[in-house]
Amino acid sequence: MPTAFDFPGGIYPPERKHRSQQSALLEAPLPRQVILPLQQHSGQPSTPCVNEGDVVKVGSIIARQEGMISSHLHASISGVIVEISATQITIDSDGRDDWQRLPEMNWQLSEPLALLERLNDSGIVGLGGAGFPTHIKTRVVEQHSIHTLVINAAECEPYITADDLTLRHYAGDVLEGAQLIAKLCGARHIVIGIEDNKPEAIEALRQVLSTSQPLAVQLKVIPTRYPSGGERQLIKKLLDLNVPSGGLPADVGVLCHNPGTLLACLQAVRDGQPLVSRVVTLTGDALAQPGNRWVRLGTSVRELLEQAGLDRAQLSHVIQGGPMMGSPLLTLDTPVTKLTNCLIAATFDELPQAPAESPCIRCGECESVCPVALLPQQLHWYARAKDDAKMQHYHLFDCIECGACSYVCPSHIPLVDDYRDAKNRLRHQRIETLKAEHAKHRFEFRQARIAREEAEKQARREARQSQNRRTPTAAASATSGEVDLRGLRIAHAAAKASVRKAEKTLARVAQEDPKQSLEDLEIQLATAQENLRAADIQLAQARKQQATETPAPAQNKESL
Amino acid sequence: MSMMQASQTDSQNAAAKRPSTANIMRWVIIATLPGIVTMSYFFGLGVLSNVLLAAAFGMAFEAAILRLRKRPIRVTLNDSSALLTGVLLGVSLPPASPWWLIGVGMVAAIIVAKQLYGGLGHNPFNPAMVGYALLLVSFPTYMTLWAPPQGAVPTDLWAHISGSLPTAQLDSLSGATPLDAFKHKSEAMLASEFWAAQPLPSGTLTAWRLIAVAWLVGGVLLLVKRIISWHIPVAMLSSMILLATLFYLSSPSHAGSPLFHLLTGATLFGAFFIATDPVSAATSRRGKLIYGAGIGALIMIIRSVGGYPDAVAFAVLLMNLCVPLLDLYSVPRPTGHASRGDRR
Ligand code: SF4
Ligand code: SF4
Repeated sequence: MPTAFDFPGGIYPPERKHRSQQSALLEAPLPRQVILPLQQHSGQPSTPCVNEGDVVKVGSIIARQEGMISSHLHASISGVIVEISATQITIDSDGRDDWQRLPEMNWQLSEPLALLERLNDSGIVGLGGAGFPTHIKTRVVEQHSIHTLVINAAECEPYITADDLTLRHYAGDVLEGAQLIAKLCGARHIVIGIEDNKPEAIEALRQVLSTSQPLAVQLKVIPTRYPSGGERQLIKKLLDLNVPSGGLPADVGVLCHNPGTLLACLQAVRDGQPLVSRVVTLTGDALAQPGNRWVRLGTSVRELLEQAGLDRAQLSHVIQGGPMMGSPLLTLDTPVTKLTNCLIAATFDELPQAPAESPCIRCGECESVCPVALLPQQLHWYARAKDDAKMQHYHLFDCIECGACSYVCPSHIPLVDDYRDAKNRLRHQRIETLKAEHAKHRFEFRQARIAREEAEKQARREARQSQNRRTPTAAASATSGEVDLRGLRIAHAAAKASVRKAEKTLARVAQEDPKQSLEDLEIQLATAQENLRAADIQLAQARKQQATETPAPAQNKESL
Repeated sequence: MSMMQASQTDSQNAAAKRPSTANIMRWVIIATLPGIVTMSYFFGLGVLSNVLLAAAFGMAFEAAILRLRKRPIRVTLNDSSALLTGVLLGVSLPPASPWWLIGVGMVAAIIVAKQLYGGLGHNPFNPAMVGYALLLVSFPTYMTLWAPPQGAVPTDLWAHISGSLPTAQLDSLSGATPLDAFKHKSEAMLASEFWAAQPLPSGTLTAWRLIAVAWLVGGVLLLVKRIISWHIPVAMLSSMILLATLFYLSSPSHAGSPLFHLLTGATLFGAFFIATDPVSAATSRRGKLIYGAGIGALIMIIRSVGGYPDAVAFAVLLMNLCVPLLDLYSVPRPTGHASRGDRR
């Protein structure tokens, strides 16, 4: 029976962490070539800003963020850009490993805005799996007062030990990264939640706990149970707070980060080192030397596994991520990305294919393990019947896709797959029904862009005119210029507010449901930004004119 | 350190990872063995012949109808659910029931109650109980042929099974179950007088009690193996005990004691093997509690004021009817829904 400080359900799959837990954290050999996908984060893919043939250093920006929910991408080796395709950039190494770092910063003395900018410039995204851009996540708190920063070190999925090893080697740095983020979001408490199956990491944390400042850090060791590392589950467990359905941890004043992300944040600020490598767990029975490695982003999975002693004959399949929520790789010729926390080279016996499914016998086992207290069997029934209304009645969108239900189902029904399909279908339907509105938003964006361009043109013309003849235009009087300025100022403030509102909405939606299509919201934001830019120009123009006692031209009033 | 951890989690996992559906069915069958053995000890080989015949009919009918429905036969037969239905109906019938009676019961159970509704997982009613109820209302004479406990090979065993026993002889053979006898005692008779008169052949009451204990043993096995959850049996037995106590306290001279109700008839068998059938029971934990309590209450009500002495089958079927409603109104509130009003 769950207590007040507990989430319901949960399962105890075999951990299989010892294989990768025992060996030290090593540096993987420098790859000869890296392939860097443009989409390594939630939101829009980034846009290349280099050309084929360009020479880059480690840490050079090679693709810039596109839209708000996006992230910069940096070269992870020094060398030559050999190929830029629609989806990825390939770099050949020059073997020199030349670095281009950003200037070092002292986070305690820096302005929050400068720190946020640094996180953005460094391409930091959540390294736990969803890949949400960290600076946006930290900015979401602008509208919430955050009281607690939770370090999610539960790492509850079997096999994965990346956070475990990170904590063992960098406990102090992780805590410092947490202090940094706590400063940014104004948290007053820092709590680490870690499962009791990582005694060495706990010990390492204990060593540095007392020296961490300025905030006191609280260490909470929780029993090992899947999925206690789910954000909501952990917050319930540590703080006894319920994140509302469809809401964010920020709604209850909490921000969650995993140790890897916090370390990356600190390195970005303190060392000026952008996100170019990460810790990856290499494990599975088909590997002779399992363990954790610092891997440059873009390294080929095949190369990495072969270096770890991959036994081809034994290999059945490779899973990226954990066995519960990860997905099998279709090809080994795929690169490590910011989201790759674990690669499991499984043998046939280790993670066998699920047996054929049989009918649901309504045993209710799935319900008893669901950490969200859903009724998976009912969802299954209505998912198969494609009864969307009923699925929402049974709270389909509260499912965190943890897979606990599929794991225990005696009929071997792939329940999560059903839910994922259903969610995708419903999302798609929503987009379809919003299409008309979408078209309207696109139209508005075009209008806004035209208006902005018009304002720019106008400004240029005015500038030319005022240079040519410094005589005032006849028609307008000095007072009308003043009225104009007020109106423009108000319009400018309104435009600014609407940009901020659009940003807020976008950030929230993107974080609540990372798989949602954000295109429409990005367009609405872009529209607001165009309007703001136009208002900026007009305001600046009017100010200049007022300063030179030149009344504003009539067109400006009309375009407002 | 990690060695210790590994073994610790492995054992946890052994408890957590569930057996497959087929294995669940097989475990239930295994758990019926103490009951079957005990029953056979007291009522002879007829019990075994019931079980075997019913199981064989179950498999045969399932295969036949799967063929008609053009569904895969081997895989489905392999899930052992038809076998289990046969075993459960078999042990519910009076020893050495004629083969055609068993056949009719299994037609109702497998073909009508299960496959016509879409097969395993889709049947709203417990198939074995549908078969049992149909036989009880259609062939009451045969269904009360509970001869007193006797030797392993009862007289005329073969004639019983083959159905060639002359009808005239049936009456002379029929004995009463304790519930039956108690139910049909005359109105004026006090319970104490009834028991003092030793209304049942010697050993009958003990036999039924030991059989009940054997079912309890099987049920505990199922609980320990986590094949069934405690919710339904506990709710059902608690509500029975509660009502039986109330009845007993209000008229101690006429009502049976709670222990009498608990240890006679199909009470324990029903609590662990019938009411817990996942397919036709409520699904949520809260639903299961209500469902179990409902069965317990109905059993006591039918036994006390209704026309049938045992009532387990009817109580289960009646509660099966309520399951869709229970499922609809016992949707647990998912975490995160409490704090944000009606945001759905
Ligand atoms: S665990 Fe599987 S068989 Fe049992 S109720 Fe859930 S979906 Fe049905
Ligand atoms: S996958 Fe969804 S329905 Fe299944 S246990 Fe996890 S949260 Fe519950």
